[in-house]
Amino acid sequence: MLADNNKLFHRKKILVVFFVCAGLFVLLFGRLVYLCVWRAEHYSALATSLHERERSIKAARGRILDRNGVVLADNKTVCTVSVIYSQIENREQVIEVLCRELELSEEYVRKRVEKYSAMERVKSNVDKSVGDRIREYGLAGVKVDEDYKRYYPYDSLASKALGFTGGDNQGIIGLEVIYDTYLEGTPGQILTVTDAKGIEVESAGERRMEPVAGLDLRISMDLNIQSYATQLAAQALATKEADSVSIVVMNPQNGELLAMVNVPEFDLNNPYELPEGTPEGLSAEETQNLLNGIWRNGCINDTYEPGSTFKVITAAAGLEAGAVTLQSSFSCPGFIVVDDRKIRCHKIAGHGTQDFTHAMMNSCNPALITLGLRLGIDGYYDYFERFGLKKKTGVDLPGEAGTIMHRREDMGNVELATVAFGQSFQITPIQLLTTVSSIINGGRRITPHFGLQAVDREGNVTETFTYPVEEGIVSEQTSATMRGILEMVVSEGSGKNGKVEGFRVGGKTATSQTLPRGSGRYIASFIGFAPAEDPQVIAIAIVNNPQGVYYGGQVAAPIVRQLFENILPYLGVDGAGDVHGDENAQGGQADGQN
Amino acid sequence: MKRGVEQEYTEPGTEKQAGRHRKGMAAHRTARRKKKEQSEYFFDYSLLFVVLFLLGFGLVMIYSASSYTAFDSFGDTAYFLKKQLTAIIIGLVLMIVVANIPYHFWEHFYLLGYIVSALMIPLVLTPLGIASHGARRWIGIPNTGLNLQPAEVAKLGMILFLAVLVCKMGKSIRTMKGFAVMVAFPMPIVLEVYFLTSNLSSAIIILGISVLMVFVASPDYKKFVAMGLAVAAVAGLVVYLVVSGSDFFAFRGSRIQAWLDPESDPLDKGFQTLQGLYAIGSGGIWGKGLGQSMQKLNFLPESQNDMIFSIICEELGLFGAIAIILMFIMLLWRMMVIANNAPDLFGAMLVVGVMGHIGIQAILNIAVVTNTIPNTGISLPFISYGGSSVMFLLIEIGLVLSVAKRIQLKEI
Repeated sequence: MLADNNKLFHRKKILVVFFVCAGLFVLLFGRLVYLCVWRAEHYSALATSLHERERSIKAARGRILDRNGVVLADNKTVCTVSVIYSQIENREQVIEVLCRELELSEEYVRKRVEKYSAMERVKSNVDKSVGDRIREYGLAGVKVDEDYKRYYPYDSLASKALGFTGGDNQGIIGLEVIYDTYLEGTPGQILTVTDAKGIEVESAGERRMEPVAGLDLRISMDLNIQSYATQLAAQALATKEADSVSIVVMNPQNGELLAMVNVPEFDLNNPYELPEGTPEGLSAEETQNLLNGIWRNGCINDTYEPGSTFKVITAAAGLEAGAVTLQSSFSCPGFIVVDDRKIRCHKIAGHGTQDFTHAMMNSCNPALITLGLRLGIDGYYDYFERFGLKKKTGVDLPGEAGTIMHRREDMGNVELATVAFGQSFQITPIQLLTTVSSIINGGRRITPHFGLQAVDREGNVTETFTYPVEEGIVSEQTSATMRGILEMVVSEGSGKNGKVEGFRVGGKTATSQTLPRGSGRYIASFIGFAPAEDPQVIAIAIVNNPQGVYYGGQVAAPIVRQLFENILPYLGVDGAGDVHGDENAQGGQADGQN
Repeated sequence: MKRGVEQEYTEPGTEKQAGRHRKGMAAHRTARRKKKEQSEYFFDYSLLFVVLFLLGFGLVMIYSASSYTAFDSFGDTAYFLKKQLTAIIIGLVLMIVVANIPYHFWEHFYLLGYIVSALMIPLVLTPLGIASHGARRWIGIPNTGLNLQPAEVAKLGMILFLAVLVCKMGKSIRTMKGFAVMVAFPMPIVLEVYFLTSNLSSAIIILGISVLMVFVASPDYKKFVAMGLAVAAVAGLVVYLVVSGSDFFAFRGSRIQAWLDPESDPLDKGFQTLQGLYAIGSGGIWGKGLGQSMQKLNFLPESQNDMIFSIICEELGLFGAIAIILMFIMLLWRMMVIANNAPDLFGAMLVVGVMGHIGIQAILNIAVVTNTIPNTGISLPFISYGGSSVMFLLIEIGLVLSVAKRIQLKEI
């Protein structure tokens, strides 16, 4: 019989079972409290990021303004067309419409439309009008998002300096790269809630995080000077059938670059367009190399042998060291023998006996070699380094090339002699311009730059950029002497084609033979500044491989002359011999010394 | 001291009972019933209410958790709801029938139940077997379209078998031999379930029910405390071996790894656990509101089934979870009361078995969902989607109600 033996110990045990179970439930409840209260934030954040799909909204990129506020780089609204696989209802219609409107091949569109992915971009940078038309079809699963495209109102103007941006709003070359962090802004996001398959949950709505527009960049470039310099360079390129012509205009007192021209320029609105006559069927790598060549900024990225313009540096070093005075006498028989080498002057007959000023006016090689040898290898090398020629200038453009120079221990007298008149080593044009500026501005090595200020959309300046200045490169006295010598070079010497009526201009010409010697390829250049007594503007013109006459004095100096004829009045620079000009000059010098 | 007294008191009784023949039993019962004909019999409305509440709540949650995926897969948001409702209706009918049959009627089928269980499990390997979710655990009943999980039959069969066995063994259960017999009988079924259907959780539940029934039947505590400690020690050792990088436990090992740190393997072994934790965590204290779960949108696998508790937490928060846990505690309490007042040991043991089944399963399910123990597929009794599970649970409740009906109100 099974009944009646449900005794006390059974009851106790059943009670134990119950309390053990209840106890376990309480423990689990405690665990739940831990999960729901202490871990809730952690898990709900993870869950939210799992549930939300984000689409980013491009931020409007900051504009680039010239020194007078003219817009050099702007944005225009364009559209990005994407397809969402899981939402498409009529696949064939979508393919047909997108092919027609976007002018794409059916194969390309079909591949995108039939790809199983959360969202597939079909085409970006679509014109707003086309985007609006596609939107009007109201096709399910086709998304038209508006965003911004970089737009350069002056097409190719200052292309290599300004640079352009890529599809993701990032700078590719030029100022667009260097000031990317200021210009790019913060992209916004549209967060939509979706299920595990990526289908939007309509009731959940969407969260928007608005994009923050980038800051405008004000640069020191002057549109008018840049345009005029571009015209002059293009003219020289055509008439001299040169490979390229570069012009850089700078304020030698503070390093603000007013213009930077490298013709041929390229169209910033179509930077990937290859020039006419390019052979078909280039590989991706070849195309990229070609484009890199087109985008190259010769003033910054390439080095050359400066030639006679470098005599300015040798002369300044000699004056500073006291190795030469204006009265020092040099004799030139048309050549000079250094160790076992005979180095010719460009005037085969020789310049005869001349004082130092005339040696510079004549651009006499033996005289400058003599001076270099007087300084000695170490002495000369010390000045080379003190002038900052071994360092980069720090210009706010990407890819500045370094100086290619003999090592101190490898220098012999022959090397010293060639360096003294600007051969056997290479520097960039911007390096030469900066070094000459520091010699004529009272001895302050300034940093060449474009960037002035970052400005928000309301016009408030959020940041003013400052650049390092190194004082005491040369003494004020040496600086004044050099200004005098260089003014003489232009007024009566080899640089007389750089003379500008009514202004006191200083400068130096150069004609450098490119390597290998004897190829018949030359670089004609001229560096000039005005007013001579208190330089407010300095310009360098470099004509690469001119045909016919190739002397710097005849090819490059006229370019700077024409430039100065126009921009000196425009900049409000006082004319020559003006009493006020002298006073100003003295004031300027005093400032420089302070 | 007290226990000694109690044993002295009970011993003669059990000895006598066990010695008697079964025919005498029926006569005795008729006499008892006649004697108490006029007095009121007990019907446990509280228990019925709790069960109906859990079923109703389960239906709401199944609809909420499954409607999205149901529409996705079957084009009908109520697909799972309808199937579950059908099973519940059949189950309730079976429950009423069983509740009205005197429970001693089933005594005759204890061996049959055991044999049927043992024979049914291998059927999953025959063409009758149906594979789903990567495991063969179901058999299709020909011409009905209904599926049956033999493990559910085995749970019920084991409860009945052990309840009868306990009564038959009487005092001998206290000996080591008796204990060994009690533990030995369920083992073939447990091993069958584990190896033939690779259903670890059902094996654990059947083993748990058996141990619990033996525990209640035997007056001893020491053996069980020692057993509990041994199990804890083995579990600790396994965890230690897995953590220390032994590759001896390749499959279960990665499961344990995923348990200790589900975020270490968020896309594979830790996936379901982590998705469940996302749901619980994002529900917080107050929940997102009924129907507002995000995790049920295909993120959480088995959201209407094993993981339904995490959807409850996500939608109804900590308070929804408390409600469910309280309901289960109340259910166990009612069954305890019935077992303690059962007219005889057989009735008590039946109720203890059912109580163990529901208790173990609910605790393990919530423990899995909250990542308190390694993940293994266990459904939440009465609430999770699953037709055969709910039908057999309702039959078990029918048994409990039948036992309750034999309780005289005076005796409480």
